Amino acid sequence: MIEVDVAIIGGGPAGLASAMKACEEGVKDILIIERGMELGGILLQCIHDGFGTFIFEETLTGPEYAQRYIDEVKKTGINVKLNTMVLEIDSAKRIIAVNQEDGLLEIEAKAIILSMGCRERTRAQILIPGDRPSGIYTAGVAQRYINIEGVIPGKKVVILGSGDIGMIMARRFTLEGAKVEGVYEVMSNPGGLTRNVVQCVEDYEIPLHLSHTITNIRGRRRVEGVTVAKVDSEMRPIKDTERFVPCDTVILSVGLIPENELSKSADVGMDPITNGPIVDEQMQTSVPGIFACGNVVHVHDLVDDVSKVAEVAGRGAAEYIDGKLKKRRSPIKVKAGRNVKYVVPQIIHGEKFDEDIRFYLRVKEIEKSVKTVVLADGERIFEKKIKIVKPPEMVKLDISPDILNRITGDELIIDVEGEEDEEKS
Amino acid sequence: MGGRDQKIAKKLEKKIVKKGFPDVKISAEEGIVRLNGRVNLWSEVITIGYLAAKTKGVKGVINDVTAGEIERKGEEKKVTKRDVYDNVSLPKRADVVIVGGGVIGCFIAREISRYKLDVVLLEKESDVACGATKANSGMVHSGIGESSGTLKQKLNVKGNKMYDKVCEELNVPFERDGLLIVITTETLPPKVRKVLPPFISNFICEKIIPYVVFRKGKKAGIPLRPVKREELLEMEPNITDKAIVGVYSPTYGVVYPYEITIALAENAIQNGVKIALNTEVEDILVEDGKVKGVLTDRGTIESEYVINAAGIFADEVAEMAGAREFSIHPRKGSIIIFDKEMKGYINHSLSELILPQDPHTKGGGIFTTISGNPNWGPDAIEVSDKYDKSVTAEEIDTIFECGSLLPDFQKSSLITYFAGLRAATYEEDFFIKASENVLGFVNVAGIQSPGLAASPAIAEMVRGILREIGLKMGEKEEFNPIRRAIPKFSKLGIEEKKKLIKENPLYGNVICRCEHVTEGEVVDAIHRPLPATTVDAVKRRVRTGMGRCQGGFCGPKVARILARELNIPLEEVTKDGPGSNLFVGKTKSLLAEEA
Repeated sequence: MIEVDVAIIGGGPAGLASAMKACEEGVKDILIIERGMELGGILLQCIHDGFGTFIFEETLTGPEYAQRYIDEVKKTGINVKLNTMVLEIDSAKRIIAVNQEDGLLEIEAKAIILSMGCRERTRAQILIPGDRPSGIYTAGVAQRYINIEGVIPGKKVVILGSGDIGMIMARRFTLEGAKVEGVYEVMSNPGGLTRNVVQCVEDYEIPLHLSHTITNIRGRRRVEGVTVAKVDSEMRPIKDTERFVPCDTVILSVGLIPENELSKSADVGMDPITNGPIVDEQMQTSVPGIFACGNVVHVHDLVDDVSKVAEVAGRGAAEYIDGKLKKRRSPIKVKAGRNVKYVVPQIIHGEKFDEDIRFYLRVKEIEKSVKTVVLADGERIFEKKIKIVKPPEMVKLDISPDILNRITGDELIIDVEGEEDEEKS
Repeated sequence: MGGRDQKIAKKLEKKIVKKGFPDVKISAEEGIVRLNGRVNLWSEVITIGYLAAKTKGVKGVINDVTAGEIERKGEEKKVTKRDVYDNVSLPKRADVVIVGGGVIGCFIAREISRYKLDVVLLEKESDVACGATKANSGMVHSGIGESSGTLKQKLNVKGNKMYDKVCEELNVPFERDGLLIVITTETLPPKVRKVLPPFISNFICEKIIPYVVFRKGKKAGIPLRPVKREELLEMEPNITDKAIVGVYSPTYGVVYPYEITIALAENAIQNGVKIALNTEVEDILVEDGKVKGVLTDRGTIESEYVINAAGIFADEVAEMAGAREFSIHPRKGSIIIFDKEMKGYINHSLSELILPQDPHTKGGGIFTTISGNPNWGPDAIEVSDKYDKSVTAEEIDTIFECGSLLPDFQKSSLITYFAGLRAATYEEDFFIKASENVLGFVNVAGIQSPGLAASPAIAEMVRGILREIGLKMGEKEEFNPIRRAIPKFSKLGIEEKKKLIKENPLYGNVICRCEHVTEGEVVDAIHRPLPATTVDAVKRRVRTGMGRCQGGFCGPKVARILARELNIPLEEVTKDGPGSNLFVGKTKSLLAEEA
């Protein structure tokens, strides 16, 4: 049995930043458990740039961004176990992990930080009918093959989903000499960041078909083509718009799912909307001493945000083992209101707030000239105007302690109000 | 045509003309009817086939009527690289050649490996278990779903009883979790429900139907037990309010159909059988009404005994021998698999009894695989193309209806879906016979559900047929029925895990996040007596890629291990054999590096 102060599950951006913060806060015995052969997580295969504009105020590639943290970690006494898979965590904070060198590891931690990231939604989960030949990949897997393994999955590519990875892979395939027949998006607006629409799709003259989906995949051994169709306002395919697009590869960028099998084994309470743990303002889950951060909590658009929130978890874990975790009152639930899909953290329960809390929210629909409003006991305690909100771009609200300390009830509601609502009120 | 045959043909012609197909040509010989011509729809081809099968005096139906709507796609263009990773060079002669490496072919191979015989099994795919065997529910039925008096029912009941022993010998998991036949408020047809007063239909559902099912089981020697509503709710707390009573069939079991087939193949190889993969039969050589050998795309094998276990292609192989007495019309069945986190939501396999029963399928149900993944399905769709294993949007909707027994089941936990093709004949029974015209040729055809459950009994029956038609079978003293399995890391206790990693550190490298499969298991699978040489072959043996992420995590790792262990470039790794390569080439930067 190995005993540690803080065990961090996953050495990607969230794990690295939380480890650094916990170390800075004076935690002695920190262990990062990483299943890959290197630290850095998914960043290692993201060789495009655009990382770090907030944290480092320059634009880095994924591996460069990761390396900055890895270098820092190496300067500290933080222990790292690579090639190590965690099999189970229980609510007493015991971890069972395995690797080739140590065999089976039993680890007992005073605090645990969950930073396992997310996985990709698959073809079946979005119910695409048809054959099951070779040549169907999720975007992240294709990215790994090209950027890490050095092999090209196909020559004639159809991409479903205009999420960021989908669009980045459209460009990556094109650069490798493959023909991208088109990017198809079921929604009426692109699913990823605007900068990726411009830099990855438009600049390469790749057709972007909005309000379209794949209705069939054909191919016996290898993909031979797909049937695509326009969809109506309820996202149902319109039969007579179907056409066959020959291709040898289908790339799916149809969403990410926080990876929480371990969280569930530890009996951590889950949010059915985010598919991640319910956390408070210090990123603590429903199990005392188990914290969570990064894409395991909800899927972020920018790694900079992941690093930032991971520091909150790292500090929380440090305070937890020192017994200094802020005094708690009964929890205040933070609820998603009008045009808000979810808010993280889902609860706050400091007794007295002495610093800002950042709320992350994702809207349901595009809306221009809106106001985000925080309501406590029916009272508007906070308002902020925003020019435009879009589902792919997370909204961040920093709320100051003097506002937070005015909360009396046990519930906060965060609304995004449109122009019309404003006129009415 | 003899007088009797003429009579049959005339009678049938009348029926077919009456149905509106005057252009279908009919001939009959020794009770075997042959149909030719062209109609508009595939469904009409099927209708004509069944009309013939139901005609008095007809022993077999060869239905060569084509439909105008879709042409059969046929085999894709020949792949050249057939001998890439083959472990067996094709022998010049054999005592027995088995065509087809599904559960039937492999069971027969293992059964006759008990005797002093040179046996060769030919399989056109890159692994065994690639047809209907890999794409069914894995249910070892009890036989209650089959019509009384059929060969299907007889072999099913017998085969079911043989499962415990054979699974123990082969070291494959087998669980008898039992089936609950559920009688609901929708069991009686709407028409009947409409006219009967509720207390009468209730009485029928609660008392009469369970009794009828129970009697049928008793007659066939199938143990059954009626289950009252309270007990039903205790057994299945999540079941619908529509459920009235049930009948419990405790002998129902479940296996991984591909795993038992691979195990049979391995055990057969251990006992001297040669299995030639990537080998397609092109002709059966017959001289003077006797089998002389098999022509394949990799050479000829001389043999006086050929067993046709070619599944969906059995009619085509029989035709090659001139011993065709049936047609296979593929009937597709699709199944949806759910996440194993739903394990425990269901305790037994469930099947809703809907009257009148469809004679051609037992209908979709709900069952749980050995791994704990709930499965729904299969449905039943007649298709004209023997390569059509697509799952359509309509089928997904139909299968979701199976779930009406469990109204609150979380459908979003769906992992994937797949389809298989049942090798149905128009007679809808197993066709297991030595050919009367071609000595030494044995048809083992029309093996659809409950073929898996019946397979041990089918193998025994075929052994008997071989002896009857003159094959000398001297027992082999050194026959070893025991097959060692690949250790399953995820199923071991802590101490066993520690021990295994100590013996082989590759068992400490977990490469599949969902199913906790280790590199040791994958390497083991690649170097077994029947080597796994493709991503799917590895998957069938050790479950990599069967979990909720569907290979997103382990895919690149498995591909790398295959390339390393087979000593081939990554670009040559395939999903399931020639033509299904995962990659088309190296990236620019890798090429530059290599230069």
